[in-house]
Amino acid sequence: MANRSGSVYGLTILSPIKDDPHADVSHSLAIRLYLQTIPQDQTGPLARVSSTHMARLVVMDDVVYFGMPSCEEHLSAKYLIFESNFDGDLDPYLGRLAREAKKEVHAVWQHCEGYPGVEDEGAFIAYMKKCQVETTFYFADVNDKTVQQTLRALQTQSAVATFIEKNQGKPPEELQKAFAKFLAALHKAPEPLPGSGQAREITDKLL
Amino acid sequence: MSNLRGKVYAMNTISPMKPWKTWLLWGLFLLIRLFPRLNSGLPQLSFIHFARWVIVPRRGFPRLSERQPKNYLRYDYLLFFSNFNGTWNQYIDAFSAVLSKGLNGIWRWSEKFPGSVPVTPFKNFITRGQIDTGYYYTAYPHATTNDVKAAHRVTAALDELAKLSKGMPAAEFGDAYLKFLLKVQGDLGATGEAPVGT
Repeated sequence: MANRSGSVYGLTILSPIKDDPHADVSHSLAIRLYLQTIPQDQTGPLARVSSTHMARLVVMDDVVYFGMPSCEEHLSAKYLIFESNFDGDLDPYLGRLAREAKKEVHAVWQHCEGYPGVEDEGAFIAYMKKCQVETTFYFADVNDKTVQQTLRALQTQSAVATFIEKNQGKPPEELQKAFAKFLAALHKAPEPLPGSGQAREITDKLL
Repeated sequence: MSNLRGKVYAMNTISPMKPWKTWLLWGLFLLIRLFPRLNSGLPQLSFIHFARWVIVPRRGFPRLSERQPKNYLRYDYLLFFSNFNGTWNQYIDAFSAVLSKGLNGIWRWSEKFPGSVPVTPFKNFITRGQIDTGYYYTAYPHATTNDVKAAHRVTAALDELAKLSKGMPAAEFGDAYLKFLLKVQGDLGATGEAPVGT
């Protein structure tokens, strides 16, 4: 299946945006304005749905005309594109979106045709699947590690570099003791938060 | 607009294809999936976290209610999404210089595709079909794809040393530690804020 590469799933959603000529602010503009207010860091909604590696929301106004001799044509509706790269299977992920990013999901998708709300999780999952477009070819450079494994690895990398720097030239006995302490401290270190880029901050405090 | 988050750039492009050509591109992607060696270029570039091509047939744009007018399109559409490190110009330059044959194979079926070499008309083509991102999120904004791969190598080497060195005499540990250093020395680059790009 082209939606998957290893353990990573590539989701592509195209949700038609409502068209209301009587609205003061068009639905597409309302989505765009709201997207500017969502945090991109560890406080953002997709950080809460912690199996998300990378994701984006895009408002597509129309298809693009590249000039003669091709024909000019237009979509009958604008589309909201949701592109996500996450660990695991589709249904549990969509369920987590509905539960853990409820407020933001509702604020965005309420402007889309046929959106049933997030209260009925089953209906939301069915709706998102109706909007899903099959990925034709999917590439993931690292496709066998979860988000948490990658965050831990980045933290470990930073900690190892600091440990090596601080323990240069020590005799083996001393080095071995320091290494044992280091492993214990690394094991106890708090999990880095998705979206924060804080691996370095944690290890600096740790060592 | 937020195409950028930390060290990652989100690119979205769209281009029209005549429906009969779509089948050829589907066949090409099927071949690449069956024979992954044909896709050695993307991993070699090593600055793309995730990328995808999505063909939307002319009758394949979702229609969710009777209220929504039907689409009457003559073309199928090729969507491309990429999550890459570096600047837009570096990315397109590298694509054009390293993957020109592969890119031509994929986009040649799109209307008015000028070829990926020379780079100026190729950049114009990409610019015309690009759609800006409204919201972009990455779980590890300060890491490039090379950082991620290096971090996993360091972690594996550290786990191995921790396992091997249990109960080891100090002198032997010294040797094992030196071997560990030799193994990971190329993978210890620091992550952090991205430099300002152009």
